[in-house]
Amino acid sequence: MTVTAPLVPQLPPPTRPHVRAIRLLRDEAWTGALVVLLAVLLIWQSTQVFRWGAFELDTLFVSTLPLVFLALAQTVVVIAGGIDLSVGAQMVLFNCVSGSLMLHAGLGTALLYAVVTIVLAMAAGVLTGWIVTVSGVPDIIVTLATSFVWVGVALWIMPEPAGGAPDSFRHIFIGSGTAFWPALLCIAVPLLLIWTPLRRSRMGLSIYALGSDPQAAFLAGVDARRARITAYAVAGLFTALAGLSTTAYTSGGQASLVVANTATLGAVAAVVLGGVALSGGVGGLLGPILAVWCLSLIPANLLTLGVDPSYGEVVRGVVIVLVVLGGSLLRRMGSRP
Amino acid sequence: MTVVQSPEQAPEQPAGRRRVPAAMLALIGVLVALALANGLVDVSFFTLGQLRNTLLLAAPLALIAGAQTLCMLTGGIDLSVTMTATAVAYVVGSRAAAGDSTVTALLLGLVAALVIGFVNGLAIGLFGVNPLIMTLGMSAILTGVLTVGSQSFLGGATRMPQVVKTLGRGTFLGPLPWNLLLWALLAVGLVVLLRRTGLGRLIYAVGDNRRAARLAGVRVWQVETAVYVLAAVLGAFAGILIGGRSGAVDLQLASSLLLPSIAAAVIGGTSILGGVGGYGGTVLGALILTVLDTLLTRLSVGESLRELVQGGILLALAWAYVSSTRRATTRRRSG
Amino acid sequence: MTQPPDLLEVREVAKSYGPVVALRSADLSVAPGEIHALLGANGAGKSTLVKILSGVLRPDSGTIAVAGTPVQFSNPVQAVRAGIAPVFQDPALVPHLSVADNFTLTGTDRAAVRPWLSRLALDVDLNERVNALPLAVLRMLDLARALAHDPQLLLLDEMTAALPSDYTENVFAVMREWRDRGRSVLFISHRLTEVQEICDRATVLRDGRAVDTHRTSEGGEARIVGAMLGERASRVGLPMAERRSIAVDGPARLQLEHLAAGRRLKDVSFAVARGEVLGVVSLEGQGEDDLFLTLAGDQAARSGRILVDGVPVKGRHPLQAIRRGITLVPSDRQHAVLPQRSIRENLALPLYSSIRSWGWISDRKERRAVQKAVDELEVDTRAADAAKQLSGGNQQKLTIGRWLVGGYDVMLCFDPTRGIDVGTKHQIYRLLRQQAAEGRSVLMFTSELREVPLVCDRVVVLHEGRIVAELPAADADEETLLHAMHNLPARELS
Repeated sequence: MTVTAPLVPQLPPPTRPHVRAIRLLRDEAWTGALVVLLAVLLIWQSTQVFRWGAFELDTLFVSTLPLVFLALAQTVVVIAGGIDLSVGAQMVLFNCVSGSLMLHAGLGTALLYAVVTIVLAMAAGVLTGWIVTVSGVPDIIVTLATSFVWVGVALWIMPEPAGGAPDSFRHIFIGSGTAFWPALLCIAVPLLLIWTPLRRSRMGLSIYALGSDPQAAFLAGVDARRARITAYAVAGLFTALAGLSTTAYTSGGQASLVVANTATLGAVAAVVLGGVALSGGVGGLLGPILAVWCLSLIPANLLTLGVDPSYGEVVRGVVIVLVVLGGSLLRRMGSRP
Repeated sequence: MTVVQSPEQAPEQPAGRRRVPAAMLALIGVLVALALANGLVDVSFFTLGQLRNTLLLAAPLALIAGAQTLCMLTGGIDLSVTMTATAVAYVVGSRAAAGDSTVTALLLGLVAALVIGFVNGLAIGLFGVNPLIMTLGMSAILTGVLTVGSQSFLGGATRMPQVVKTLGRGTFLGPLPWNLLLWALLAVGLVVLLRRTGLGRLIYAVGDNRRAARLAGVRVWQVETAVYVLAAVLGAFAGILIGGRSGAVDLQLASSLLLPSIAAAVIGGTSILGGVGGYGGTVLGALILTVLDTLLTRLSVGESLRELVQGGILLALAWAYVSSTRRATTRRRSG
Repeated sequence: MTQPPDLLEVREVAKSYGPVVALRSADLSVAPGEIHALLGANGAGKSTLVKILSGVLRPDSGTIAVAGTPVQFSNPVQAVRAGIAPVFQDPALVPHLSVADNFTLTGTDRAAVRPWLSRLALDVDLNERVNALPLAVLRMLDLARALAHDPQLLLLDEMTAALPSDYTENVFAVMREWRDRGRSVLFISHRLTEVQEICDRATVLRDGRAVDTHRTSEGGEARIVGAMLGERASRVGLPMAERRSIAVDGPARLQLEHLAAGRRLKDVSFAVARGEVLGVVSLEGQGEDDLFLTLAGDQAARSGRILVDGVPVKGRHPLQAIRRGITLVPSDRQHAVLPQRSIRENLALPLYSSIRSWGWISDRKERRAVQKAVDELEVDTRAADAAKQLSGGNQQKLTIGRWLVGGYDVMLCFDPTRGIDVGTKHQIYRLLRQQAAEGRSVLMFTSELREVPLVCDRVVVLHEGRIVAELPAADADEETLLHAMHNLPARELS
């Protein structure tokens, strides 16, 4: 009677060092490409600019600090399978909050206010995540609505650009002179302290699972509600840092809807270019950071090529489109029988 | 057990004479309430002149929101439509300034919109690119091109041709603005498209259940491409109207309308997930946002509270729509 | 000496989805130290019971007790904590994470899993991503993971369905070992020979009830099949529509020549004549969905031909099949119904599929076509603004009615009466026979064997991607069909 036995499936060969290396290469290919791209852009710029050095690097790392934090915030939410259109508005809000609080403060008090800002931001994240989970309204609409609310609160706190921060606090983020390593430190410390342990923990894996396959996540016992809210809370931490670094950079606060929206969309672009899948479950935090740097180098490089740096926007748009087009084409080719 | 219905049982109403759904009535109620509030603050709100002004204020938003409605009905979104509007205004203005006839300038503007729409539509429909990302990228491209172009080949675009200025500011038959007439025509066209044409049916079908549409023989990519082309064309009209009204063009021409356009569509009952909604609701949504804004300005409410209220209303209404949809699904008739 | 409590005791568990009753009153007892089979035809309530036991669904009523303690689960984690570890047909592994990460996610102790991995001969790199591994390996990993949680009861849902024979042997060895430790296994399967080989006792479900529990040594496969069938007496007596004296010698309307498609359809050839209703029956996962999707034009065939009136059909889009007259009423109403749109829009959809019909809708023409379909189908149109408010039966009528409006030559119906009340079922039978009488052809997959003689002229049986039997409907009683579906030799005497 019997059934013809199906073919024995091919098991991947057991781990040998070179297999491990190959897998590492494959998994980190995107980030690797970004590193190469960044290196190329930096090297090119350095050959074109007279006495290229610390000043250019300082401009790069310090001026992009807020956007880097926003990209990180957006990444966490996207990994969990969602999107947050309010990250820019949160940045503006926490910029105004910290700017107004720190106006006449000394370093110690300023640091205290910074902590307060972070706590507020995480609470806002929890609230957003809760609304998304409970209401059933798609997160794109919820965060669109909350973006208006956050800007409204920011405008209430600071109707006119004002505020300030003590220089000692500012140096934590922007360094003094052309020292750019504080900026890099500000990125590295939260990543190492918070993301790296989270990423391998059950909660971090739950966030990835939620974005990758909610059904399998449920069967594996993931609490979707808690995972989602945690993701938004972590994003809140990063938006607070974005706001704080803006306060440090501009020494004050400004509530502007335009700034908020531009920043949000810039964060989304960086996330996509950073190799994080919009569908969720895939990607890390390093890619978007590199993507922010690459994108910000484009106008400068264009300048050296004698091209109007305003074309930088065009290049950014074309790159985004090509990257996503390429991604979808690859997926299509892969699924062909 | 089933109850076999005799065929004489009244079939569902033909589309044209559909009874007005409760949501629409609620929106009209909200609009009327806001209008009354405006009137309480300043009686002159109800003069013909003021009502006309309100409509004039709402028209550009309503057109952009119309583009947004079409995209959202198929489950997508268009973040580039305001830049399309700006781009078309630039093209028309600069071609007119360069000496082209008005007709040529307008046609070139339309062509620009068609190109933008096709690129968006094909990428999204045929290549499956995420609409959010594609239109975001397109927006960046347009911003860049216009930034550069405004200093060179699109320079001098601040002079809009006379016809366009008339459209933007002028009136006919006394108090009726051309502006509003154009909007009314487009609105009628949009409503007719969605309710009484095959394409309209397909737009709803694709948004409601893409798989079912495909299995029923619909080439989904064609429908999606058409939608983004139409959205770009609507954006073009918006750009022409706004440019005509102000007589000048600048990069910020329409960008402040982008997120409110999404809000207007959602408030009007169009679901971002697709398959539900329509332009009628969107118009109400745009009017509500405009009248609300007027009210808040009259009350000398700061920009702060204005943003808060806008966000609050959007969230509240979106939540209400989702809850009522959930309740309707659990209501089942046996048989 | 008192008997130790059963490891698992299920009493009078019931579950309905709206008007559809999945489980009426199911009873099940699994003793400690036994391998217990759970059997039943499609739609008998097996998968619902499995979902309830694993914590995915909550029962409407009834009790479940593990080792004497009553339990209630609202999610899979609680089921595991109570001592029931399920291994589902779709592995509960997150695709983009590595195997090791998946273990961390579910709190699986690495030290506890390792011995099972070697026991099952799974030489897998745990850092490999899940979606890079073949399905059979994933199912084994899921099993190892379940075992590592040291459950009282292992719940294996169609464990051997996607496994090569050497893996299956490993699984059986592990199952025996588990039993010898005094634990138990609940083994859900269609493969009756395996059940006879490995299981101690078996419970058969039919129509949402447990109808037979016996030791497998006290009755062979015949006893199981007999229990699945039940008494043949109970059948809703309705006059069958007039059956034409079959003139199947006419030219075939639809022909398949060595069609292979998708993952599971290997080699299928048959023909459907004009005015014929051809039934297709099979167990789950035998290639039946690949067959229907390929005929419908939704996926391309790997090899072989499809011919309509002698002319080959090609293409990758359903529109091409529809233009040749082949239309699909999909397996899941979710794939066919436009939930938020009206009845009229649902029915009229095919009228607008091609670009030529994007223009103005002729109200009168549409209304007439829709009304005709509504009349023929006797759709209850009261109080429904959106199709999702209709009952399952009425929704199904919409998906069929769509093709009455759009026109067709061959209608592919996939399990059209699944989950529908009896009255609507018979309406659909009458409709299909009427369509056949008008010269159209119907290819119908059904999981309800009883309806084959009521609706079909002939029936083919699909097994592991091939046709293993073909018979006239008059000879197609349930017993014969069930035997053929399990690929058993015809009719053993019990």
